Amino acid sequence: MAKDYDYIIEFRHLTKRFPGVIANDSINLQIKAGETFALLGENGAGKSTLMSMLFGMYEPDEGEIYLRGKKTKIKSPRHATELSIGMVHQHFKLVENFTITENIVLGIEPKKSMIGIPMVDIKGTDIKISDLSREYGLDVNPTDVIEDVNVSTRQRVEILKMLYREAEILIFDEPTAMLTPQEIEFLLEIIRNLKEAGKTIILISHKLDEIKQVADRCAILRNGKLIDVLDVKETSTQTMANLMVGKDVSLDVAKEDSVKGEVILDVKNLFLKNMFDVKIVKDVSFQVHAGEIFSLSGVSGNGQMEIADAIAGLLPIDSGEIFLKNRKINELSIRERTEQGISYIPEDRQVYGLVLEFSLANNLVLKSYYHEPYSNRHILNDEAIFNHADKLIDNFDIRAGKGKDTIVRSMSGGNQQKAIIAREIDLDSDLLIFVQPTRGLDIGAIQAVHQKIIAERDRGKAILLISLELDEIIALSDRIGVIYNGEIQRIADAKDISREEIGEAMMGVAKNA
Amino acid sequence: MYKTIIIDGLAFALPLLIIAIGGIYSERSGVTNLALEGLLGFGAFSGALFIVFLGGHFSQNSNIPIYLSIIMAALGGALYATLFALLCIKFKSNQVIAGVVINILSQAITTFLTRQINQNFFEQPSDKFQIGVFPRISIPVLKDIPIIGAVFDNFYTFNIIIIALLAVTWYLLYKSAFGMHLRACGDNPQAVDAAGIDVEKVRFKAVVLSGALSGVGGICFAYSISANFSPAIYMGYGYLAIAALIFGNWKIMPTFVACLIFGFARSGGNELAKFLQLSSSYLDLTMTLPYILTLLLLIFFSKRNRAPRALGEIYDKGKR
Ligand SMILES: Nc1ncnc2c1ncn2[C@@H]1O[C@H](COP(=O)(O)OP(=O)(O)OP(=O)(O)O)[C@@H](O)[C@H]1O
Ligand SMILES: [Mg+2]
Repeated sequence: MAKDYDYIIEFRHLTKRFPGVIANDSINLQIKAGETFALLGENGAGKSTLMSMLFGMYEPDEGEIYLRGKKTKIKSPRHATELSIGMVHQHFKLVENFTITENIVLGIEPKKSMIGIPMVDIKGTDIKISDLSREYGLDVNPTDVIEDVNVSTRQRVEILKMLYREAEILIFDEPTAMLTPQEIEFLLEIIRNLKEAGKTIILISHKLDEIKQVADRCAILRNGKLIDVLDVKETSTQTMANLMVGKDVSLDVAKEDSVKGEVILDVKNLFLKNMFDVKIVKDVSFQVHAGEIFSLSGVSGNGQMEIADAIAGLLPIDSGEIFLKNRKINELSIRERTEQGISYIPEDRQVYGLVLEFSLANNLVLKSYYHEPYSNRHILNDEAIFNHADKLIDNFDIRAGKGKDTIVRSMSGGNQQKAIIAREIDLDSDLLIFVQPTRGLDIGAIQAVHQKIIAERDRGKAILLISLELDEIIALSDRIGVIYNGEIQRIADAKDISREEIGEAMMGVAKNA
Repeated sequence: MYKTIIIDGLAFALPLLIIAIGGIYSERSGVTNLALEGLLGFGAFSGALFIVFLGGHFSQNSNIPIYLSIIMAALGGALYATLFALLCIKFKSNQVIAGVVINILSQAITTFLTRQINQNFFEQPSDKFQIGVFPRISIPVLKDIPIIGAVFDNFYTFNIIIIALLAVTWYLLYKSAFGMHLRACGDNPQAVDAAGIDVEKVRFKAVVLSGALSGVGGICFAYSISANFSPAIYMGYGYLAIAALIFGNWKIMPTFVACLIFGFARSGGNELAKFLQLSSSYLDLTMTLPYILTLLLLIFFSKRNRAPRALGEIYDKGKR
C-alpha cells in the first residue's frame, strides 16, 4: 500500500487541562499503522483523557492531532467515526432492549423496501453480522437482546459496532477490567485477529502481562506527561512498572502469619435466589475469624458476589442464618449492619459505592454523616467533614483535581475505587468485605491496597475477600474457600492448597477432598 | 343490547387508543407525558374553532368541514405539544411538573377563549362550540354477521381513520429508522448520542407527534360524546389513556387491547344501568366502571410491566 505518511496518528504538543489538573501535558507521540500500541500509567495519569481527544469527546487546549499525515480537528465522536476511528469505552453504550444487530446498525440502518414502503432491514443484516463476527472470532448471536447477555458479549458487540463502521483505528479503554481470566484470553485472541487484519489498535491497560502478550510498543504516562515509549518485547514487566510509578516497586506483598482470634462472621447453611427465582447459592457455610483473611475464590457468576450482597443486606436471604459476633443479623437493615460492624466494598462502585454527583468529601462520609462529629442535631458540620476528607485523601493517596471538593464523577476510575476503600476502612468495622478491591487500579495502587488490607488484618479485623484474580487470592489469603455453581467445594488453609488445586476446584473438578 | 355495547364501546375505545399511542410515542422516546389531557383538549378546541368559524362556508350537508376539523385538531395538538417539548427538552424542566402545568393551562386557555369568542363574535354567553354530528355508516353484508357484525354497523367513520392511523403509527414506531431511534432514546440516550444521532431532536419530534395524535383523539371524543366542544372534555380521558398505555406495557398492540377493555367496560356499564332501569343519577356510578377496572387491572397485571429505562431522564451530553 502506498502511503504518503509515516504515522497514522501523531500527537504534537497535545495539552488538556481540567480545573486543578493538567490531565495531558504537551504530549508528543507517534503511532504506526497496523501496530498494537499500549498506554500504561497510574490511575489519573491521563490515559482516558488522551484517547477522548482522539475520539473527539474533548477538545485539546493546545497542540494538534495529525491523522494519516494531515492536521485534523476531530470535532465529535461522530466525526471520529467518519475518520474511521472507533472506541470501546470503560462503560459500554448499548441499548438494553434492542437486539445485538439493532445496536450495531443504530444510526446507519440498512433499508429495504416492502411493497414500496421503506423499512429498516434487521433480518437481512443478522446474517451480515454473523459473518462479520465469525471473521474475527467474535462469536455473538445477532438476535440476542442485550439485557440478556453478559459483560463479555456486550464488549464484543461494542467491537462489532466499530468493525461494522469500518473503523481502522480501534481504541480499547481498560477492556479487561470487567472480564474473567478466560474471557480475557478470548479478548486477547480477538485483538490479535484484529491486528492480523491490519487494524491499528490502542490498548489502555493496567495489566502488564496482557500488554506483554499483545502489544508491540508501549507509552508510559505519569502525571499527564509522556515518560517514555518502549519496545514491549525488549522490556521486562518490572521495568515497565518502575517507569510507571517513578520508583522501584515490588510486585509481591510481605505478610506475617495471621493471629487468629474469635469468630466474627458465621454463615450457616445459606441459600440464596436471584431475581428470577433461580437458586444461585446452595447450602453455603463458612466462618471468618478476627485477624484472618478468608477469601472466596471462583469463576465469575458462581454465587460469590451474591453471598457478599446477602451479608451486607443488599439481597434477601432465602434460608439459612448469618451471625456477626454471635448475633443473628438476618433481619437487620443495611444501616443497622453497618452500625454493628460491617464494611463493604461492593463490586459495582458506580452504582452501590458512590454518589457520583456529590463531592469527594461528602462521599467519604456517606456512611457516617449522621454521627458526631459530622453532624450535630441533624445539622452537618462542614469543618469536621472536610478535615476527615483531607485526612483520608492523604492516607490513601486519592488523587483528585480539586481535592475534597472534586465531584466524584470527574475522578479517574481508579481513584473512585480508592475513595470507597478509604471510606470503608475508616469505619473501623470488625468485618470488612472486599469484592474485587483492586479492579481498575494501577500496580502501585494495588500494592498500596494490599498493604492496607493486611494492615487491617494485623489490627485484628476479620476480612472476607472476594476476587476473580487468583493472584490476588494467593497473595493475600490465610484461608481459602473455593466456590463452584453456588456450592463451596473446599475450604483449606492457604498453605495447604496449591494454585492448581484451587483452579481445579473452581471448575468443579475435585469435590470435597 | 350487545350491539350497542360494541358500537358505543368502539366509539370510545378508538379515540382513547389514538391518544394512548400519542403517549407511547412520547414516553418511548424518554419523555414522561402527563400532558395528554391538555393536549387532547387543546386539539379538540382547535378543531371546534375551525368548525365555528369556517364550517359555514361549506354547503349545508357537506361532511368536508368535519374531516378538515380533524386535521385542524392534529395541528392544534401538535402546536400546543411544541410548548410542552420546549419546556421539557429545550429548557430541561421537570417533565411531571411541566405536564401538569400544560394540563391546567390548556383548560384555562380554552375555556376562556371559548367564552370570549362566543361573546364577541356570536353574541351568546356560552362555553360551548357546537360542532355537529359525525357521520355514521354501516357496511352491508358484513354488518349482518352474527355478533361481530356489530363492528360494521352504524359506526362513526372516524373509526376508519383511527384504524388507518394505527397502522401508520405502528409501522413508524417499529419498522422505520426514526422509530428505532425513538425507542433507543427512551432506553439509553448515551448510546444514541454515541451513534451520532441527535437525542433532543428525536425527542422533540416524538413529543410533537404525540400532541398531533392526542388532538385527533380529542376532537373524536368531542364529536362522539357531546357533539360540541366544552370544558367538559377535560374528564380525565388523558389519564385513562396513560393507564391504558402502562397496562399495555408501552407497546401499541397490547395498548389497543387495553383500550378495548376500557371501552366495553364503559358501554357495558351504561347498558347495565339502562337494563336495571336505574335513575339517571346512577349513570354517574356506572361511568366510574372503566376507572375501577383500571385500578384492578393495574394492580393485577402491570407488576411485570417495565417503563422505558430512561423515562423522565433529562439528557445531559456532558455525563461520562
Ligand atoms: N471531565 C473531567 N472533569 C474534570 N477532571 C477530569 C475530567 N476527566 C478527567 N479529569 C481528571 O484528569 C486526570 C486524568 O484522568 P483520566 O481519566 O484521563 O485518567 P486515567 O489515566 O484514565 O486513569 P484510570 O486508570 O484511573 O482510568 C484525573 O486527575 C481526572 O480527575
Ligand atoms: Mg481511565
